[in-house]
Amino acid sequence: MPSIDVSTLLFLLSDGLLWGFTIALVALGLSLIFGVMGIVNMAHGDIYMVGAVLALYVLEWTGNFWLSIIIVPVVIGLLCVPTERFVLRPFEGRPAVTMIATVGIAYIIQQVVLATFGGMHEKMPNPWPVVINLFDVGYSGYRVLIAVISVVIIIGLWFFLYKTSYGILIRASIQDKEMANAMGINSNKIAMATFALGGALAAIGGVLAAPVTQVFYLMGADVILLCFIIVIVGGLGSLKGTLIAALMFCTLQGGMSIILTPVEAKVAIFVIMILVLLFRPRGMFAK
Amino acid sequence: MPFKDSGQGLRTASSGFREFKSRMSNKQTPFVMLAVAVVVILIGPFLPPGLRSLVIEIMILCIFAMGYDILLGFTDQCSLGQSIFFGTGAYGVVLAISYLNANLWLALIIAVIASIVLAFLTGLIAVRLSEAYFVIITAIFFSIFYLLSLSMSWLTGGDDGISITVPSLSLGFTELSLYNPLVNYYFAFFFLIISYLILTRVVGSPLGKVFISIRENSERTKFLGYNVFRYKLIAFILAGLFAGLSGALYAIRLRYGSADFFSFDWSVLPIVWVLIGGTGTLIGPCIGVVIMSLFQYYVSAWWAQYLIIVGVLIIVILRVSPKGIVGYIRSRKGKVKEKG
Amino acid sequence: MKLLETAGLTKNFGGLVAVDEVNFAVEKGELKGIIGPNGAGKTTFFNLITGSLKPTRGKVSLNGEDISGLPPHLISRKGISRTFQITNIFPEMTVYESVWAGVNSRAKQPWNPFIHAGAATDISRKTKEICQMVGLDSKMGELSTNLSHGDQRVLEIAIALSTEPILLLLDEPTQGVSPKEIDTMISVVRKVSEVAAVVLIEHNMDIVLELSDNITVLENGRTVTEGSPSEISANREVQKIFLGIE
Repeated sequence: MPSIDVSTLLFLLSDGLLWGFTIALVALGLSLIFGVMGIVNMAHGDIYMVGAVLALYVLEWTGNFWLSIIIVPVVIGLLCVPTERFVLRPFEGRPAVTMIATVGIAYIIQQVVLATFGGMHEKMPNPWPVVINLFDVGYSGYRVLIAVISVVIIIGLWFFLYKTSYGILIRASIQDKEMANAMGINSNKIAMATFALGGALAAIGGVLAAPVTQVFYLMGADVILLCFIIVIVGGLGSLKGTLIAALMFCTLQGGMSIILTPVEAKVAIFVIMILVLLFRPRGMFAK
Repeated sequence: MPFKDSGQGLRTASSGFREFKSRMSNKQTPFVMLAVAVVVILIGPFLPPGLRSLVIEIMILCIFAMGYDILLGFTDQCSLGQSIFFGTGAYGVVLAISYLNANLWLALIIAVIASIVLAFLTGLIAVRLSEAYFVIITAIFFSIFYLLSLSMSWLTGGDDGISITVPSLSLGFTELSLYNPLVNYYFAFFFLIISYLILTRVVGSPLGKVFISIRENSERTKFLGYNVFRYKLIAFILAGLFAGLSGALYAIRLRYGSADFFSFDWSVLPIVWVLIGGTGTLIGPCIGVVIMSLFQYYVSAWWAQYLIIVGVLIIVILRVSPKGIVGYIRSRKGKVKEKG
Repeated sequence: MKLLETAGLTKNFGGLVAVDEVNFAVEKGELKGIIGPNGAGKTTFFNLITGSLKPTRGKVSLNGEDISGLPPHLISRKGISRTFQITNIFPEMTVYESVWAGVNSRAKQPWNPFIHAGAATDISRKTKEICQMVGLDSKMGELSTNLSHGDQRVLEIAIALSTEPILLLLDEPTQGVSPKEIDTMISVVRKVSEVAAVVLIEHNMDIVLELSDNITVLENGRTVTEGSPSEISANREVQKIFLGIE
């Protein structure tokens, strides 16, 4: 048994927690789409991947990484609109079929990226090479920065959903679709906006993650697994549950990395999910 | 409730064949199937090697597809985790042969039992969940197994896989080598026929009818006194069993197993097969396998990104013909009949 | 001993009390009507008895045995069957198959994979007898989805009857049925009540008064009054509740 250094553990826990905010963005997108449309977007991880790939292109063309935080989600959000309208909407009311259609989208995205971007792992330069002292260990300032950016975006999302009229309509659709329809809310428009918003959130996640991970056309697989587990445990469609579960699991994963390999940590999280499901089949925070 | 003798002796005593909707087939189907079987048997020796190998692959995958139809087509459970059982079947054979020195039959039995046990355990957790949760949880199961098969390379060989020497097939009176492609051909054909017969039997039995009730209206089926969870679990295990058998045969054909058997493609392909050919028909998914395999064989040769077409195809098929090719032919037939 | 008895049966949805302390009983062979305005908790009451919902408080007992909180399939096996207000059938199955599914659920091995479902057995005989009893025997080979609405409502009852219940809960069997087909429906309900005790939720007062032995009036989840059809039609309070509705 290796002795566990407390400050190392604290360091790893905080590293996990900070990463958790970015993952929460992606998972919130997934959860929002489920809440409004009743489907799990199987292409969500690939949208995240496209976000990272586009960030590389933006850096290449403009020489400025920070621009991509604005440009990429807008581009992805705009691409999501016709996707929802022409690919997904025809299957409205048939969740399983719609989910299979999103698998088709996932294939298309992956292969298009493979054909254009290529199949190699690309490393992006750190856009903010500052080192911060965290529990006596030098820590990447950029990692802290993306956590801060993620928190800002999450607060913005909360403000949008709880304070703006459009956000309230989205929440109404999550709560009770029939009631929302009866109140004259155009559910098609809401679904379209939500799919775009969810896609944009995944894309921001990808952009922020690009400098700290390797950009690769299959990089979505890792994140989507974690996000699936998060939304299952948090309760599909429950935004608070998703946020809490994301922070909890990422912190846990960070802490576990002191004794476990990354794969073992994933399996451990998987086991935790199974245990939660056995007692709460609809997740911890579901109504 | 008292059931009076209704006096119409002959009619009441007759079976309910006619009142059961013929989902699988019409009267000619057994003859068509027999004809196809005879043709497959006869042309075996005359096929060019490349094509014969393709036909073997198709026959093996048909087993996978028909099993999956029980799950998706008959009980409406859309699993994204079928590669787990395909991979388990493959590794069951590979590990049994390379570590236990098992003979072919024992290796196959081990593979199938391993798939059944795994399907039972994963099914226990997944099947009780509602639709969207079921899809996502099976996708999670897939991810974990794929991850493990890649990382536990001491056992699985990871991406490189493990090669095996396939032991000869002992039939009691004689020994045949599966390195002879023709033996391999009839070996796969044998299992295809057995699987087809078993599954048609299941589909026509009370069990199959309960599956259909669950697909048509699972809530109401509960109110008839059926433990829907248990029936869905049986369907899940059946699909796992045939996926495992198919994976085992596939590994024998390739003489190796790798983590690739657990990959996402093997979870998505069954859905594509069943949707192309038509859900709830058993024959339809086989047609789906033929189309997809020919497509893969010819297109992948000149275009590396042929999977784009798979993606487009998924969406187009869902749009154009939700009941698949068999459903399309049947609806055409119906129209012709109405006119005549 | 009563066939069915509920004691203090209560269901809360958040703050809303949908069913409030209902004491209700059905005798063997009785046809009992339940009436009440929309939102009186009639369907919720059925859902509590059949296990779709778990009661917040109170008890449901069948022949003295406590069945509250059991899952629907076990309650069905105890002998309670129900129909639904919104037609709830098996669209792509034939009439015969739909009824067969219910009869088969009482077979010794309903999951048997080794016999053919079309074989001539007690199950196929009983299936046909139920179809004859409700008058669907000429349409046994038709897909449920192709039936007329009236026939679908009758099929709804046939499916409920197929499990050989001792108690049948009918949720507005005449819902949306054309005047022409209503007489058929009334005679079907009559026939059904000969083989099982029946609880009937019905909006059409004439039908309830004609068919029921006893009637319970629900309003806002509470029992307002109980009595024979003549008592109920003379009751001032009932007249007040239904004034403007019927």
